[in-house]
Amino acid sequence: MNSILSNAGPSWPHRWRMALAFAVGLFLVGAPLQAQQTGTVTGNVNDAQSGAILPSVQVYLVGSGLGTLTNNNGRYLIVNVPAGSYTLRAERLGYATQDMQIEVTGGGTVTQDFSLESEALGLDEIVVTGTAGAARRREVGNTISQVDVADLPDNPTNVDGLLQARIPGMSVMQTSGNAGGGAKIRLRGNVSVAQSNQPLIYIDGVRMRSDAFHKNVPPTGYPGRSGNDVASPLNNINPDDIARIEVIKGAAATTLYGTEAAAGVIQIFTKRGHQGQARWNASIEQGFQRLQKFGVDPGLRPSSEAAETSAGGTSDYVFINPWLRDAYQQKYSLSVSGGGDALQYFVSGSYSDDEGVLPNDQQTTSTVRGNFTFSPLENLQLQWNTSYTNDEFFNTAAGNNAHGLTLNVFRRDANYRGSEAREDIDPLLGQTISTQIDHLITGGTATWTPRTNFTNRLSIGYDLAQQNNRNLRPFGFALAQNGILSDGRSEFETLTFDYVGTLSFDLTGSIGSALSFGGQSVTTETQQTVAYGEDFPGPGDPTVTTAGTKLGFELRERVVNAGFFAQNVFDISDKYFITVGGRVDGNSAFGEDFGLQFYPKVSGSWVVSDESFWSMDGSQLKLRAAWGESGRAPGAFDAVQTYDGVGWGGVPAFFPRVLGNADLGPERTAEWEMGFDGSFLDNRLSLDFTYYNQTTSEALFAVRQAPSTGFIDVNGGNSQLENVGEINNQGIEIAANYQVIQGREWSWDIGTSISTNQSEAGLPEEVANISVGGNGWIIDGEPVPVIRGFKVMNPDAIADPDIQPDQIYGPNAPTQIIGVHSSLTMPGGILLSVRGEYQGGHYVTQGVAINAIGRSVIWPGCYEAYAIAGTDVSQGPLSATDPGYDQLTASQRARCNPNLAEGEFWAEPADFFKLRQVTLQFPVPEAWIPGTAGANLTLSGQNLWRWTNDEWTHYDPEMGGNSDNNAISRDGVSNGDFLVTSISEHIPVPATFTVALRVNF
Amino acid sequence: MKSTNTHRADRGCTSRRATSGLRGLLALGLAFGVAACDTDVVNPGPIAGDFLDSPDAQAAITNGAGRALGDAMNWISYTSASVAREIHPSGSTGSFGITPEQQRGELNNDEVNTHWENVHRARFMVEDGLDRIDQLEAGEQDDEVLAQLYLWGGYTYRLAGESLCEAVIDGGSAQDHGVFFTRAIELFDQAASLGTGDVRTAAVAGRASVKVWQGDWAGALADAGSVPDDFSYVMPYYDIGDDNQGNRLYIAAKSEPYKAHSQWSTWVEGYGMSEDTPDGDPRVPYTITGTVGDASTSCCGEVPFNPQTKYENDDAAIELSSGPEMRLLEAENALFNDSDMATAVAIINELRADAGVDPIAPASMTEAQMMFLREHAIEQWLEARRLPALWRWNEAGVPLETLLQPLEQVGDGNIQTGSHLQERDFCFPISEGEEQTNPNVG
Repeated sequence: MNSILSNAGPSWPHRWRMALAFAVGLFLVGAPLQAQQTGTVTGNVNDAQSGAILPSVQVYLVGSGLGTLTNNNGRYLIVNVPAGSYTLRAERLGYATQDMQIEVTGGGTVTQDFSLESEALGLDEIVVTGTAGAARRREVGNTISQVDVADLPDNPTNVDGLLQARIPGMSVMQTSGNAGGGAKIRLRGNVSVAQSNQPLIYIDGVRMRSDAFHKNVPPTGYPGRSGNDVASPLNNINPDDIARIEVIKGAAATTLYGTEAAAGVIQIFTKRGHQGQARWNASIEQGFQRLQKFGVDPGLRPSSEAAETSAGGTSDYVFINPWLRDAYQQKYSLSVSGGGDALQYFVSGSYSDDEGVLPNDQQTTSTVRGNFTFSPLENLQLQWNTSYTNDEFFNTAAGNNAHGLTLNVFRRDANYRGSEAREDIDPLLGQTISTQIDHLITGGTATWTPRTNFTNRLSIGYDLAQQNNRNLRPFGFALAQNGILSDGRSEFETLTFDYVGTLSFDLTGSIGSALSFGGQSVTTETQQTVAYGEDFPGPGDPTVTTAGTKLGFELRERVVNAGFFAQNVFDISDKYFITVGGRVDGNSAFGEDFGLQFYPKVSGSWVVSDESFWSMDGSQLKLRAAWGESGRAPGAFDAVQTYDGVGWGGVPAFFPRVLGNADLGPERTAEWEMGFDGSFLDNRLSLDFTYYNQTTSEALFAVRQAPSTGFIDVNGGNSQLENVGEINNQGIEIAANYQVIQGREWSWDIGTSISTNQSEAGLPEEVANISVGGNGWIIDGEPVPVIRGFKVMNPDAIADPDIQPDQIYGPNAPTQIIGVHSSLTMPGGILLSVRGEYQGGHYVTQGVAINAIGRSVIWPGCYEAYAIAGTDVSQGPLSATDPGYDQLTASQRARCNPNLAEGEFWAEPADFFKLRQVTLQFPVPEAWIPGTAGANLTLSGQNLWRWTNDEWTHYDPEMGGNSDNNAISRDGVSNGDFLVTSISEHIPVPATFTVALRVNF
Repeated sequence: MKSTNTHRADRGCTSRRATSGLRGLLALGLAFGVAACDTDVVNPGPIAGDFLDSPDAQAAITNGAGRALGDAMNWISYTSASVAREIHPSGSTGSFGITPEQQRGELNNDEVNTHWENVHRARFMVEDGLDRIDQLEAGEQDDEVLAQLYLWGGYTYRLAGESLCEAVIDGGSAQDHGVFFTRAIELFDQAASLGTGDVRTAAVAGRASVKVWQGDWAGALADAGSVPDDFSYVMPYYDIGDDNQGNRLYIAAKSEPYKAHSQWSTWVEGYGMSEDTPDGDPRVPYTITGTVGDASTSCCGEVPFNPQTKYENDDAAIELSSGPEMRLLEAENALFNDSDMATAVAIINELRADAGVDPIAPASMTEAQMMFLREHAIEQWLEARRLPALWRWNEAGVPLETLLQPLEQVGDGNIQTGSHLQERDFCFPISEGEEQTNPNVG
């Protein structure tokens, strides 16, 4: 101290030197004193039953603003805790919260372990989907499915894959093996024929586009000059950012989302920050995709058929194997979360670069996200979530595309190249189909609680996606010598305003009430401009400007939906809950106002296990029932007679567009459901059951008009939307999970989800049956849709086929979906997880087969017939003059004789089982990666194995769904699009193998 | 740690007055209401039907009728050419193809939906346009445009009458296809009255061709006589990047990618002009490619791809009326009605001289009739007129099995040695779509 003062210099007044000495002394003394005034809290958290370590448990000092999450080893550490007494709380989804009282001393370390009791049912968990604001699960009268994504061990490549086989009543069909392709999602079947059946999607309360992006196809000419698949906005979300997903499936639950919600709602919640020190997560993922066999065993081929094509193709891959590759996959992710009392954050970024199994397929995706929670006042919380995704992918021309690779390979030497030789087909790879999507989703929520019983939540969301589709067949391209280019820019905007207020009060001592009210406004805008050019002067990288013929196309559309709702939840003794509510929606259309529509709901739940008579310890049971209505408005201007300006050789010309229907209104879907949520056997068995019955009345059907009236649009359509008939869906959903072994070293659980769906159309007599393509029909009294057409009535007879028209095959959508899953935890924390799914009861037409057989292609699906008939395939296909023809069954003759074959003969039962995912996870000792708080190594495989029923000949029953020949599908999704699944010239989704190293620090 | 989206939250049920809260709620509600008030829906592009009642819409209405007729002709000319064996199928059965049934000569109701719809759309565009223009004030009508609309209407109804087996109008019951001809005459009359120049001449020529169907040969010849030898009125097509507006017969065979029809095994092969037959008739040209079609045919497997070259681009027009057509009407009358072989041969030879082709010298009436039928086939090749002519002659009792060239006839079942046509339907039946949606015909 004196040396310090003396060094301060002789000019310093004495009092300043003393002050400095005091300050220095204070600092020197104060620091250790400060250190002596804070302590550390640490410990482990495990499962009370099994003893297994529990990562991602929130551990915090109540009221202090200090806390953290347990790492992969179940350990937590809170530093710089001021000395004092605290309540230390541990909580995690699926477990009962536990509090411990601790005393922290300065410089000391408190070690406090937790053993959390599992809570299978989680009746006090908060759910937000389908409720006005937040509600506890015990209060909700409808079923809500939840996927806790953060705890999943596997490495999902996208959200579609993550959702497969997890939620009863949900089918997720990935329609092709193309890079960038999205899935078709259905909840409880098809609720509409004329409108989209994709569920609404919300992410952190922000509504985002749920329908597919525009297909990358030129705006004129044949509508299949493309890769013939469409991208899904859902896959712009990084699965690593997702904390959990809630799904509600029917009108009974979606009422508060009003119009457009009849097909269900998917709510995605991304990860948030936490109070405590920053926690980093990094992952490196490497892997590859490989296409499995999907054709016919080459051993079945007739002796006159060569083992390989000249290109080296074999029938087990329908001859495309020379063009396939093992597709390298790589993904890198980094995230950090943490925060303090007033501000918590979660920031992440990822980069992936994936090849596809087809030669031109490639996809590169980059995402960044920032989620911030800010509490400037005690009763005000602000959340702001923003993500940006850049998704760029290239596709190989595929599908029912005469300029594409797959069609020309499958059709062998009857293709559009006149040859199956490699050198004749390879030039088709010279086209570029590139898609770039920039997707911004941002939104904020302000939650203001001026009083403890009055909560206000205001959300504003903005979803903006910009898509650039470039589709080039260059100068000199084999099948378009002068070249063709289309360059389309699309922009999709969704702007959401959402307010919910909840006022809670007691009506009596045992009856509480929570009144919720609010409104929502959703504005969607779509803009598209496409430049098209053909006939380029020479080779090189062209622009539309350099084309000899240039065309321009434009689409602009804006639709506003707005509504108000009110709901009251009556809480009787915290055991009986009755919810009554309703919503009023408005939707404007050009020249006609549909008026306001009212959608009511009522539901109830009873927590039986809280009754005094309930004697089953370690179990819980909630009974529930719900009824509600939702609706779907027709498109803008569907009610008004309109014409199109179609042009004719450069001069203006009108063509009919929409006939108009002044009585047109929204379709309404009413649903009731009932069931229970239960956990039994000391919470080892969880069981959910739901029966639902859903009817869409005043259903919008595109009713065909008599063509002789002449009002037929430029695409040959002559139907008008009318509110006629009904669509009914009913079925059951069961989710069960059983903890077979609960031990410290070993644990094993198995589970299943079972759902059924029986659908039926109701059409009045005066309405003709409606064709929806792919041999799919809407017929009174039949499933929606049903496969109908010519049918061989004596299939197994050794005779000529007896063919009758207009015969029903069966439903096109699965009527039973069964998911199975199991997880085995072994000593050392090694985890093995398996998930599979069965779908069945439906029929799918193998359009690819008839497209080939009708051209006299030697088709692998007919190998058996060729062999029996003794067909010399080197001379041609099956013929009635073949020596053994009369030994064939009627079905074989009908399907494989080109002179008899019809597409419907190839409608086959599509029952299948797939091993969706197998994952093996190893914890990595901390010593192996110094400086980290834990790591694990995960080996994962998706779509590894497929079983199909005996009558299914080739390809994958989940393929198809993108109607290649549907001109309307040029825009991705439109009326009735994606309604029918049929197999066209695509490849199935390949198997994926990945290894991922995830590190926390 | 409080968040409404965390998994657990404390919930209070204390009874409180919420007066201040309600005031805040009202403010929020007003703000929300203002934000939600803008419910304007914007969807530019579609045109409200009312606009077509405006005088400004006349030209576009008429152009629409023309395009609709062009679409209808595009489909009918291609399919009927196959059934009439003006072309031979060489592959595709789907897009721009010929179905296996049509390859055999059948026109089944489940495969003619597009043809049926196109004709009726063309008819609707004419009638709808006329109704709208009729509503205009005196002086607002554009006579030139109206005359064109009448002309398109005449040709539309001629196409309908010549191609459709039965007439169904606006969801009514089936009638004799002759009602289409009646309406065609009315519209040609109007076009001839109001139109000038080529429009007027075309109306007269069109009327002549329809009167033949009605058996009014005197009227037909009177009209035909006023049409010059070198007259030609065409339906235009366009090479503008839209296949719907391009010549469908050409597109179906231009190898990008379809090679759907050929002149192999037709009467044209060996007679028309090609690399192998440079001195052949230049009015029926084709080319030898040395390749095969894009798929196997139902009769014959893969066949040589030797496509027509009458239409050599997307924008190749299809003739609607011509002077030579009128001359052939005169020759037909002379030959079949007046048994005047000399007059008929003179007319034919004049046409052949104009084309630079050797004259005919038939030795008998039967031979003259055969040569006339071939001359008709040449002159109206690939114009949607041959199959109707065959229909008309068949109805009139003309012995087609004697007079037609062998490869144009229905075969005897031996496709190895004769025509590959196994039967022939002369007209397009009521479509399956019409039967399913129209209770008056279903």
